[in-house]
Amino acid sequence: MAGSREARLAALRGQIAAIEAGTRTPTPVLPFGDPAIDGCFPGGGLPLGGWHEVTGAGLEAETSAAPAAFVGLLLRPLVKTGAIVWVARRSDLFAPGLFGLGFPADRLIQVRTRDEAETLSVLEDALSTQGVVAAVGEAEAPDLTAGRRLQLACEKRGGFGVVLHRRPYGGRAGAGRAVSGSASFSRWRIGPTPTPPPADDIGLGPPRWRVELERCRGGRAGAWILEQQEAGHGPHPFRLVSQLADHDVAPTEPGLRLVG
Amino acid sequence: MAVDETARALGLSVDQKAADAMALVPSLVTFDHDAAADRMALEALCDWCVRFSPAVAIDGTDGLFLDISGTDHLWGGEGEMLVDLVARLARWGVPARAAIADTPGAAWALARYGDDLAIAAPDQQRTAIEGLPVAALRLEDAAEAQLPRLGLHRVGQLFALPRAQLAKRFGLATTLRLDQALGMAAEALTFRRPASPWFDRLAFFEPISAPDDLARVAGDALALICQRLEAEGRGAKRFEVVFHRLDGQAYPVRAGLARLGRDAGRLTKLIVPKLDKVDPGFGIEVVTVHAWAVEPLAAAQDRLDAQAGTSLDETLAPLVDRLVNRLGENRVWRADPYESHVPERSVIRNAPLDPPAAARWDPDRPRPVRLFKRPEAITAIAKLPDDPPMQFTWRGRPHRVRRAEGPERIGQEWWRAGVGEEDTGPGKIRDYYRVEDDVGGRFWIYRQGLFGEAEAPKWWIHGLFS
Repeated sequence: MAGSREARLAALRGQIAAIEAGTRTPTPVLPFGDPAIDGCFPGGGLPLGGWHEVTGAGLEAETSAAPAAFVGLLLRPLVKTGAIVWVARRSDLFAPGLFGLGFPADRLIQVRTRDEAETLSVLEDALSTQGVVAAVGEAEAPDLTAGRRLQLACEKRGGFGVVLHRRPYGGRAGAGRAVSGSASFSRWRIGPTPTPPPADDIGLGPPRWRVELERCRGGRAGAWILEQQEAGHGPHPFRLVSQLADHDVAPTEPGLRLVG
Repeated sequence: MAVDETARALGLSVDQKAADAMALVPSLVTFDHDAAADRMALEALCDWCVRFSPAVAIDGTDGLFLDISGTDHLWGGEGEMLVDLVARLARWGVPARAAIADTPGAAWALARYGDDLAIAAPDQQRTAIEGLPVAALRLEDAAEAQLPRLGLHRVGQLFALPRAQLAKRFGLATTLRLDQALGMAAEALTFRRPASPWFDRLAFFEPISAPDDLARVAGDALALICQRLEAEGRGAKRFEVVFHRLDGQAYPVRAGLARLGRDAGRLTKLIVPKLDKVDPGFGIEVVTVHAWAVEPLAAAQDRLDAQAGTSLDETLAPLVDRLVNRLGENRVWRADPYESHVPERSVIRNAPLDPPAAARWDPDRPRPVRLFKRPEAITAIAKLPDDPPMQFTWRGRPHRVRRAEGPERIGQEWWRAGVGEEDTGPGKIRDYYRVEDDVGGRFWIYRQGLFGEAEAPKWWIHGLFS
């Protein structure tokens, strides 16, 4: 009896998947290159025809530096195939910084909008355009309708959408956090994490992020510490440092090291 | 002194003194002459006249020149056009005299001294103006006063005189004006907008005002000019559709393209969202359309299939057009490298589809992902004067520095214009450090100034890495 119940459930899941997929062929995905992370996604990577939420932790909710660097690195493999549009109300994104992460800035179109609604509509417009492989919008959480529209725009051309949650300058802490666009495929929380001294003990090593996958449609949540992979070392932009089962942050080393 | 129609009927004239006029008509109302307002009114009139011809020039303080070559057929002839122009002006209480001739000089003379609505037949300037007073030649004041004293009252009398003596006696300007009136010397007019052959016009039998109609006629007008562009193998980057209202108000609506184009459908899509700024009032009677930045465009370009075989730029151009037309040109850009080591100057904003820049950023100089527009002051504690800080406070929050990298010394560019002595001294040198705090946040901070100078160095934060 139990077996037949399981079988029926599996059959129903298959039917639902077939309905959801419609007549589309399976969408291509953007893998991280490590089975520990890719195993969390149903398709072995982040699907291209969908949008994803990226939030920052703590102070990052306003400055949004670590999330921006993370997204820049995440999109690095895509930039060869098309243009990337970055929509924001503020113009503090500094292209040389992205270039330093191995992201060629000559395919990056920056758009400065006047308000929140405009950001989302430009994002939607960009995602449904042929030749735009990914679009990033810095906005507060979009509501369900806006999220659904973004999803439709992503599906049109297989665009990769990212909404970078960012509080307006001087905005109230926690405001706008309440609404979460459940239309997004996944939600990430990115924060910085201390790095160990580099091998030669000079300066700062490659940057590391504490990456939490808070929600993923049809997948599992997870938390990792990822490090930037140098551009020459393989196709994937991240290197898995450790999996966080709990709060085992890398050991901190106090003490200032000087560089002459 | 200027007078209007009512005053003229009372016997006042232009040359009268104000006191004399007051004596004649005690209830006279006088106004001071406002040259700036006159000029503005004339400019407004000039803009309105674009409906008759794209080439309109302002002449002096009270005249307009219209170059109507090739546009009169739209009214069914020069005579009809002239009548229409003057009738419309009269309807709004603008008294005007007009004339048509081959040369601006002859037209000027006929409009002021000839019969109203005079039209000089082609190549007949000499007969048209020979009966006019010499003042019609736009002479210098001295010559104009001198000629009648010598019994030379009519232009025709000057034709008979030997030119050399005429020039010697009354100045070269006299013969030049004579030649200009007869078309023997060229005269340059300063058109308010550059004359362009890429102009089309759509007039309506009944004024229109419904938004749908406006959108439709904008499409029709654009289709007109795009057909011409296609026929000549050209494309344009900037288009302007002007809606002329019954009462003379004109509403221009502009659209720009990132690359040359002549697709009326796409242009209409760019124009239509901006039509809400057009207030049709009692109705729009004429729509004109202009194209600028017209350049040759190969015909093959718009035959390419949108799905395959197109370059990236081709597919992106419509998006860039939509965004630029919606948000404005300065809100859509691609950040390109610029040869400067001052961080805020190392980026130049280019149009997204411009050819890529040759310069590159230096990969060995790490730069932050977020750069603040203006650096924020921080308070920092450093062990030694030249050390990176051990701790700093930014936005009221203390950060303990775990690791640091630097310094990278960046001075101001003294060779650049506008950078003065006080901008480049030792007090303006910046020492940048990349620091990581105990939670892993990476900051780009700098110390401005050197120890031992009159002013103590200050610490600033300029950007964030991650």
